[in-house]
Amino acid sequence: MQAGIDDEDDEARADASGQMRLPATLAGEGPLPASAEIVIVGGGVMGLAMAYHLAKRGLTDVVVIERGYLAEGASGRNGGGVRQQWSTEINIRLMQESVELCRRFAVDLGVNVWFRQGGYLFLARSEREVARLAKNIDLQNRCGVATRMLDPREALGIVPELDITGVVGAAYNPSDGILFPWPFLWGYARQAAALGVKLFMQTPVGSIDAEPAGGYTLRTPRGAIRARRVINACGAWSPKLAQMIGVEVPTYPIRHEICSSEPLKPFLRPMVSELASGLYCSQSMRGEIVGGVTIPGHASTYSMGSTLEFLATYARRLTRLMPILGDVKILRQWAGPYDQSPDGNPILGAPAGHPDFFLACGFVGHGFMMAPIIGKLYAEWLTGDAPHDIFGRSQLARFFDGSGAGLAKEDFNIG
Amino acid sequence: MARRLASHDALRGPAVEIRVADTSVRAFSDESVAAAAVASGTRILGRSLKYHRPRTYFCLEGHCSGCLVRLGGVPNVRACLAPCEPGLEVAGQNAFPSAEIDLLGAVDFVFARGMDHHTLMTSSSILNKLTNKIVRQLSGLGKLPAHRPDHGPPEVESREVDVCVIGAGPAGLAAATACARAGRSTLLVDDQLRPGGSLRADPRTGRAVADARLDAVDAAGAEVLARSTAIGFFPEDGGGVLAVAAPARLYRVHAKAWIWATGGYPVNLPIADNDRPGVIAARAVGRLLVEHGILAGDKIALVEVPEVAADIDALAAALTAAGAEVTRVPLARALGVRGRGWASGLDTRDGRVDCDLVAVAALPAPASEGARQQACEVQLDAAGGGYRIVVDPDGRTTTPNVWACGDVTGYMGPARAAQDGDRIAANLCGEVR
Amino acid sequence: MPGKIVLCRCEDMTLADLEHSVARGYTDIEEVKRYTGFGTGPCQGKECLAVVGLQLARLTGQPPSAIPPFTSRPPLAPTPLRLLARAPDAHRFPDDPPDDE
Ligand SMILES: Cc1cc2nc3c(=O)[nH]c(=O)nc-3n(C[C@H](O)[C@H](O)[C@H](O)COP(=O)(O)OP(=O)(O)OC[C@H]3O[C@@H](n4cnc5c(N)ncnc54)[C@H](O)[C@@H]3O)c2cc1C
Ligand code: FES
Repeated sequence: MQAGIDDEDDEARADASGQMRLPATLAGEGPLPASAEIVIVGGGVMGLAMAYHLAKRGLTDVVVIERGYLAEGASGRNGGGVRQQWSTEINIRLMQESVELCRRFAVDLGVNVWFRQGGYLFLARSEREVARLAKNIDLQNRCGVATRMLDPREALGIVPELDITGVVGAAYNPSDGILFPWPFLWGYARQAAALGVKLFMQTPVGSIDAEPAGGYTLRTPRGAIRARRVINACGAWSPKLAQMIGVEVPTYPIRHEICSSEPLKPFLRPMVSELASGLYCSQSMRGEIVGGVTIPGHASTYSMGSTLEFLATYARRLTRLMPILGDVKILRQWAGPYDQSPDGNPILGAPAGHPDFFLACGFVGHGFMMAPIIGKLYAEWLTGDAPHDIFGRSQLARFFDGSGAGLAKEDFNIG
Repeated sequence: MARRLASHDALRGPAVEIRVADTSVRAFSDESVAAAAVASGTRILGRSLKYHRPRTYFCLEGHCSGCLVRLGGVPNVRACLAPCEPGLEVAGQNAFPSAEIDLLGAVDFVFARGMDHHTLMTSSSILNKLTNKIVRQLSGLGKLPAHRPDHGPPEVESREVDVCVIGAGPAGLAAATACARAGRSTLLVDDQLRPGGSLRADPRTGRAVADARLDAVDAAGAEVLARSTAIGFFPEDGGGVLAVAAPARLYRVHAKAWIWATGGYPVNLPIADNDRPGVIAARAVGRLLVEHGILAGDKIALVEVPEVAADIDALAAALTAAGAEVTRVPLARALGVRGRGWASGLDTRDGRVDCDLVAVAALPAPASEGARQQACEVQLDAAGGGYRIVVDPDGRTTTPNVWACGDVTGYMGPARAAQDGDRIAANLCGEVR
Repeated sequence: MPGKIVLCRCEDMTLADLEHSVARGYTDIEEVKRYTGFGTGPCQGKECLAVVGLQLARLTGQPPSAIPPFTSRPPLAPTPLRLLARAPDAHRFPDDPPDDE
């Protein structure tokens, strides 16, 4: 084994990164600074990606305020799926760029994220679902994504454990993949901190006052902070934060449950998903089968409790799709909030009347994979570049003035 | 070297033959696969995930993961909770070419100072890609099951009772008996091969006492579910449902009142190389002796914390009487374990103790995670052994209709735990009608 | 060289790993769990949670009572999918085969 060299390398890096200790405030000490150019509320992947990219572009007078521990929100609770198989051109193109950033992340930010491009295999159990996949594949191919339609036998060639009874077709793109979510947060947090961004965990923002002279004052148990600009990166909690300044955001939280199996030796290459039930599962870098299923008809809630209904539904669908997993054991289940957007598209930019208050929500079940590119584009815009197309089409106003009517709706929020 | 004691022979179940790593092993039907492995000298069952350190049994009661094996084609099965059935095929896991001689064990030497796998090899994209490939291949424990489950679909059963007691150690047995005698419909749930908990690991009580107390539960009219693990308290059905998993059955349990009597887990002590095979929980050594008539070693070094001295006096005496040479070492004097394949010595501040087994006696860590799912408050407490359930003087937890007794509320030892179970059951029956 | 003091057997987490995590600023027990992986293996913390909690209290200079446990997640013991698949709690999708199949 080459492990001897690995060790050298590891030691060297440990020394270098030793200087990038997260500030003590991460452990919950010290008051907030009196003011900052930008305060980012929410230390999930979205807020931290923005903080990192802002600092990298030279805007380092940034403070990130997180209510709980690092990764407490959806960013610490998701399945780590990264795909370019979408139904709208804008999402396909954004994800092509995000995949590139994911590929480079470990080296760019000095932390392993175990990004593995094993592909995404979507299974259709009816001709209608096949037609839906075919339409998407067409668009994806035009954007340069190499998705292809497979017949059930070919799908079996990729995942021999499948029971293809009832499967009529599948879409497969080999360059989709999965990653390990937590290290993304560590990487962004450490590098942002190293560049001068201040991070405060265990610090809930309780109220926000718009100042007559411009800017905002945010109040927390750790004291108040004056911000010239505020970024609301509260994920599913974004409507609550926006409400503090009287802005109505129409997204709502939907509990999404997920679970992990015992670690098994690698056998499953792609993320496998089934349109009929929203079932998805992949094998993580640790060998666990991580997956979930979409149970329809649940009311909006911030509760993150676990249910037997989920466990039973997931077990039933998964053992039907891969009967060989019957004796595989579930180790742990948990839940996180999907930030559900009424039209499936995100909400970005500043709402009317609040030009210095920025939104970054409505990413449903794919905000993690979007964060690398959205964080970068946002930072470019806030540091003076012309805004990317996505900001124009993602405005909050579309829900009230009808301007969203002509926009393509993302309808492939599967899993 | 471990051996079966002739004095216990009359108590053993019928002899059976199982196969461990393709070798025939003589066992008895009342033994767990792990107990049979101990008696036959099978020492290493698998390798750990990150450093490929050798792994084997430690707790012998299903709570540590040390004894995971491939059993009849199914990966990651706990050998200590699997009964010896004739012809059973047992294989080691996660090692190349075998659990005893694992070439990947080199990882442990190379990273002698430990490694932070998060920052490993992030300096160049080529090395990083390679690392990702290698790590993926090294990951995981057992291989995919060999076949689809061939047994018929497992059944689901419901139970509606006045009181559900979880854990059949001294506290739970006493509580269940008292509740049933008071006329409450009572269900007692226990995850071990045979209910009895620490009674079956304690030379002061042992098999006969455990069986007698179990008979008392029966006689009082309570239902006992053995080999049945409470896997979670879920919000379904309005008041919530406890899911209990048995080998071929899932139970959905509703109760008017709950008693957590789950005791504590045997845990390790922080000395160097404390995870070496041959380092075994003192309670596991007791269980082998008392329940199975197996002496786990000839020269036993017993590392202990002062709080459990009374329990350990009894164990040490019993081991000595069975023919072992026992050296007791306070934790404060212990430094580290010697021997790579199997413990061969214990370094102490007073020199080396030669041994063929290191038994560790720590405070058991309260098994409070089930109660936490019912929103019971717990508190980390060194003297209590870990996260003990917070109870009032009558045994009420902070959640209505949820009670707790015995070691799960903080270490108290078997005699007091039984009294506690009795007392809390009486309080409960006075209140819950 | 002194050997490793293992706190979590399932994930090979050592006392040195815990110290490393704290030194890096990951001091909340949930952060330590995610950074070191302790408590995420087949035993789900049964053997290690109390030990890590007590060591974390020592390293961060807090009383043990100030260290909450990490969230307790079902199932409390590894549970085979086949056992869960028959629970009546499962949601039925339009294409679900009937039960006796
Ligand atoms: C089970 C599950 C599976 C998923 N699978 C995938 C997947 O495979 N791929 C994918 O790309 N996405 C997936 N997602 C979606 C993805 O996790 C989210 O879209 C993404 O993490 C959102 O990131 P965020 O930073 O916007 O929000 P979050 O990570 O939720 O961060 C928001 C933060 O704001 C904090 N906050 C809230 N209010 C306040 C306040 N008043 N003061 C201070 N802080 C506050 C919260 O504590 C939280 O940490 C999944 C989500 C779930 C729940
Ligand atoms: S789990 Fe079997 S020895 Fe601990």
